[in-house]
Amino acid sequence: MKTEELAWKRLHEHAAAQLSPGFADRVLRKAREASSPLLVSHFAMCAATAALCLVAVALYNAGSSSDEAAQSLAGWSEIAAQAGDLESGQ
Amino acid sequence: MDESSTPTLGERVRRAQRGDEAALRELIVSYQHRIAGFTYAITGRSDSVEDIVQMVFVKMARAIERLKAPEQFESWLFRLARNTCIDYLRRQRLRKMFVPFAPEHENVAEPEGAVDAEELDALRHALAQLRPKDRALIALVQEGRSHAEIADTLRTSVAAVKARLHRAREQLRQFYYSDEN
Repeated sequence: MKTEELAWKRLHEHAAAQLSPGFADRVLRKAREASSPLLVSHFAMCAATAALCLVAVALYNAGSSSDEAAQSLAGWSEIAAQAGDLESGQ
Repeated sequence: MDESSTPTLGERVRRAQRGDEAALRELIVSYQHRIAGFTYAITGRSDSVEDIVQMVFVKMARAIERLKAPEQFESWLFRLARNTCIDYLRRQRLRKMFVPFAPEHENVAEPEGAVDAEELDALRHALAQLRPKDRALIALVQEGRSHAEIADTLRTSVAAVKARLHRAREQLRQFYYSDEN
């Protein structure tokens, strides 16, 4: 057998020896674990993140809306006061 | 057992797709050593082989239902393995960028006693000089896959496979025989 062929044979033998006994059963166990709880927790996390984002947007909008309303009201009050001054001045 | 009762690969895959865990187990046992050899050729690390091969087969078990052509199982499995190994190497490189290692922790050699043959050591060092995708290509040839099958696994043309393989083999021989000397 050529040196390189022998080297490949040794490579495969060495690699195969790295798999400890019961490998297939461990894989099946991990695959079973991976399919249900992980999916549920993944969806739960997505739902929680979406809910948090909605709450943050709602709070920001509520805050900025009331500020804007107060500013508009102040502006109109000033305009009304100035109009009143102009009328009384005429 | 006579040949007529031995299930074909396609039949075993279809049984696994229907949720038959014994069939899934048979597939793992049939391919685990080949995938281990393939993984080791690409990554070059004994201590990572079992973890990576486990990742490959867990992905296989979770995705097998979606495989439309059960007869293409081997190509699909080796494609999965190749992508898993390349992702693993990419993560290792990224980790090195963000986690500063002391010089003695870079290029860590195989654990003592892990490699006990000169020929294997020379091959491992020669493979380490190639890009991971070229290692994967050569490892697929070592699996006895034809150019057409490799082209199918890598989703490329046969001509591209032949050209890349020729270059990769030349490089490997150059590094292997210079290392041996």
